[in-house]
Order: sequence, then C-alpha cells, then structure tokens
Amino acid sequence: NAPCPPRAVDPQRPPVNELPSTPPRWSPPPPPSGKSPPSLLAPPRTPSAAPHSALPARHSPATRARNPRQATAIAGEQAMDGGAAELRETHRLTGHADRAWSLAWNPNPGPGAGPVLASCGGDKTVRIWKRAPDGVWDCSDVLDGVHERTVRSCAWSPDGKLLATASFDGTTAIWEYSGGDFECVATLEGHDNEVKSVSWSQSGSLLATCSRDKAVWIWEVQPGNEHECVAVLQGHTQDVKMVQWHPVLSVLVSVSYDNTIRVWADDGDDDWHCVQTLAEAGNGGHSSTVWSVSFNQKGDRMVTCSDDCTLKIWDTSADLSQPTTGEGHESWFHLSTLSGHHGRTIFSAHWSSEDVIASGAGDDAICLYAEEKSTMVEGPSYRLILKKEKAHDMDVNCVRWCPQDPRVLASASDDGTVKLWELWGNLLD
Amino acid sequence: MDFLEPMIALDETHYQDGYKDGYDDGMVSGKEEGRQVGLKLGFQVGEELGFYQGCLDVWMSIIRLDQGAFSARVRKYMEQLAALLSNYPLSDPENNLQDMMKEIRLKFRVITGSLGAKLGYEGRPTSSEQDLEDI
Repeated sequence: NAPCPPRAVDPQRPPVNELPSTPPRWSPPPPPSGKSPPSLLAPPRTPSAAPHSALPARHSPATRARNPRQATAIAGEQAMDGGAAELRETHRLTGHADRAWSLAWNPNPGPGAGPVLASCGGDKTVRIWKRAPDGVWDCSDVLDGVHERTVRSCAWSPDGKLLATASFDGTTAIWEYSGGDFECVATLEGHDNEVKSVSWSQSGSLLATCSRDKAVWIWEVQPGNEHECVAVLQGHTQDVKMVQWHPVLSVLVSVSYDNTIRVWADDGDDDWHCVQTLAEAGNGGHSSTVWSVSFNQKGDRMVTCSDDCTLKIWDTSADLSQPTTGEGHESWFHLSTLSGHHGRTIFSAHWSSEDVIASGAGDDAICLYAEEKSTMVEGPSYRLILKKEKAHDMDVNCVRWCPQDPRVLASASDDGTVKLWELWGNLLD
Repeated sequence: MDFLEPMIALDETHYQDGYKDGYDDGMVSGKEEGRQVGLKLGFQVGEELGFYQGCLDVWMSIIRLDQGAFSARVRKYMEQLAALLSNYPLSDPENNLQDMMKEIRLKFRVITGSLGAKLGYEGRPTSSEQDLEDI
C-alpha cells in the first residue's frame, strides 16, 4: 500500500507521455488515402476529423481496416490481412502520486472534441487527460482540495457535463466543467464510511453510490445541483465494491465482499428492493469477493469478476424492472465461467461496444476475451483472445474501453500510471 | 419429641434470616447500580432521541410557515422519522432497541443528506473513526 516512488526520467528518452503514438519499431506509414478510419491516438488527418465517423467493421475478414499500416510493417509481422490480435501500449500517463484506482471516459465530450479520460487515485485527486492536436496526451486538469482521502471511483454523467467522484472520506463530490475549470458543485453525504463506487443511470437523473457500510444509496439529481436521497438499499452483508446501472432498464446491480451480486429495482413509487441475488449456491455465482460488473451495450449480457480469479458471464435479458405477476417470473442466470487466465484477484472487467471483454488483475496482466461463435447448441461460450503479461508493474485496478473508439483501452494500476492501449489485428480465428 | 422441634426449625430460621438480609442488601446495591447504568445509557438514548425530536420540531415549524419549504419526498421522510421516534419505547424496553435506533439514525441521515445540511448528533462516536485505509 505504499505510494509509488517517483519515476526517474531518462535524459536520453523523451518523457513517456510524449512518445509518438505509433510504436517506435515501425516506420511511420504513408498517409492513408482516406480508407483507414481516423485513429484517436494519431494526429488528426483533417481539421474536422470527427471521432464518431463510421468506423469500418473491424471483425469481418472482408474489410481491412488497418491494412495501410500493416502493409508497411517490418518483417516479423504476421499475414497482411490483419494478423493475430495484439494489444499495443500507445501511451503511459504519469502524474498520480499514489496508486491509480479508477478510470472514466467522458461519454459525450462535445462536438469536434477528442476523447477525454478521468482518472482518480490514492493521492486524493482526479486527473483529466486529453489528447493535444499533436497527438500527445496531457493532463489538462487536476481536481483536488475537496476529498480528504483516496478517490476510489469516478463517473461522468451521460451528457458529459458532470463528473461524480467517490471517496474513502465518505462523501461523493459532483464536479461541473464551467469557464475552463472544474468546480465542485455538490457533495453527497450519507454513507457511514468509505464510498467505493458511483454510477449514473442512463437518464442522468439518478446516481447510485455504495460503501463499506454495506449499503447502496440512490440519489436523485435535481436542478440547481440539489440532490435528494431516493432510497437506501440494505441487503449485502459486507462491503459493497461496485454499483452499475443497467444500460437500458431502470435496474441497479451491486457486487460485494459477501460474494454476491444483487439486482435492485423499484415498484414505481421510490420503493426499491432487491429483486434477485446471484450467489454461489444455486446460481453458479462467485466463491469470493466480487469486485466489478460490466454490461454489454444492449444490456442482455453482464460480466462480473472476482477474487476467485474467474470472470462470469450472465444472461441479463429478463426485464427485472417489471413487477412480478404471480409465480415463475424470469430471472438472470449464469452462462459461462472464464477461469485459469489470471492467477490473482481480477479487479476489473469491461465490455466493449464491439463485444470484447477486457479484464485487469492482481497478476499485473490484462486479458481480452470474445464470444466463441460456434454452432454448438449448448449456448454461448467465450474464449481468451490474448493475455498481456506485465501490462503494468503492479496490480491492474481498472480497465475501460473508449466509447469513441472501441479498439482503445485504458488501464489504471497500483504503480500510479494510466496506460492507453490499442487493439490490433483480426479477432476472428 | 416436642423439645426437638425448635432445633430442626433453627436451620430454617437462620436460612430465612440470612435470606432476608441478603435480599435487603441486594435491593440497595442493585438499585444503586441500576441507577448508574440508567443514568448513563438511558441518558445517552434520551439525549440522542431528544436531539432528533428537536430537529424534527424545527422542521415541522418551518413547514407550518411555508408548505413548500421541503419537497414532498423530504416531508414524507420527516413524517416517517416522527413515527419512528414516537414508537421508540422509552419506558418499556423491548428487544430490538438497537435496530430501532439504527433505523432512526439512518432516516435522520437520509433527511440531512437530502437537505444538504451538515447536522449530526455529536454525542455518538462514528464507526468510521477507528478504521484504516481500505480497498
């Protein structure tokens, strides 16, 4: 738990977060004629390069999204039509003076703006990272002076205008970007002790927080930065590690040190209760602390990861937000368990919009998984695409796919750094 | 055999005397101990409940002056707190006193959290103070 030591800068090498976005061993490719999509990690080719422009399908073998670059690759690279999947480190963001705990990409940085990443950590600060026009990532803001202890988690509102930060000091702060500066506009108090996670509902009107006090609080965000407590959900018997709203339904999921996953919904009258508990016995649940949860884009799949060194995939297509009519209502159920890839606690898992699951663990590694498209009738199964050993020097605490470019992954570690990665190659077998 | 009876009864007499002495002593010291405990715990409970009731009385006065001072949701929470406080058995202790007190404390925190008011009963040590950095 000691803070990471400051890193010595090698005078022969440029400071790490100014490295060119292309890996040093390739020679720079000729400018593409417009076929390859604009990469968010490379300098923009045209002034109005919009990050949201249609990206050609990366999975299909027919399109060669990255081909112009790979055609100029030096010997040793694989076949020209994509090659084996590879996770390449593109940037290393240093600045946090203690472990980096969590990350959040702004879902809506504004028209024409590049991607924006928030990171938070043990140094009680939140850092905002942006890509400069020359491709270099810089820390544009440091949010400090509010939290008195570690900032454990951060989350952007769906409209991208507010950032919520959850801290071990028991409070959750709301920051607003105005006049070129981030300003703390509200502080939510209520938890008895350390707040572990914060999540905005898809409508942006509800905020959920969870804590070591075993409770989950739901807040309603009102005009004028007013907040009212809507509900206090009690049910977990231990520290609650993370909360995550369903991407579509008005349903909240929490995961805990008590090894269970709980699903919460309301009956329409602010009356929230636990509609399902996914435990080890009877559900095929985890046998140890559940650390993280992530939904796929549609919300019919969910991945959880645990101290038991596995990831579990769940079918979450049942609409649990509807009140049950009589007996035999649908429920969420276990689909698949991924084990044997990480040798330590898996702290974080994230499901990309291209259906690649990333995981980060205490073995300092990042793993990527995708669904096995087979004709077997037993149901979906998932396979490991690659394992990036020594992704960081210490535990990987958080992995997050970039919403504007689903091939870009950010990771945060106990080593105090945040790294950006790019997924290359063909994901199909 | 009549002259033997007082001898047999002597044992019983001494037992009764001893019992009475012990009973009288116990009454005195038990009452004193109970008074000390009652002063300490009872006073603490009373003080805390009184604090919440006092806050509630202020809020109720505000509502009488200005119906719209608080949202409907917060007013509902205040009514719920009032019910919890009046249900607390001050004179006839029941078994789930700890749970009732926890409920009251939580409801109070929900209200102050929603009002954004930094208000708390100072007398009670918070559970977080002695805890260390966590993961």
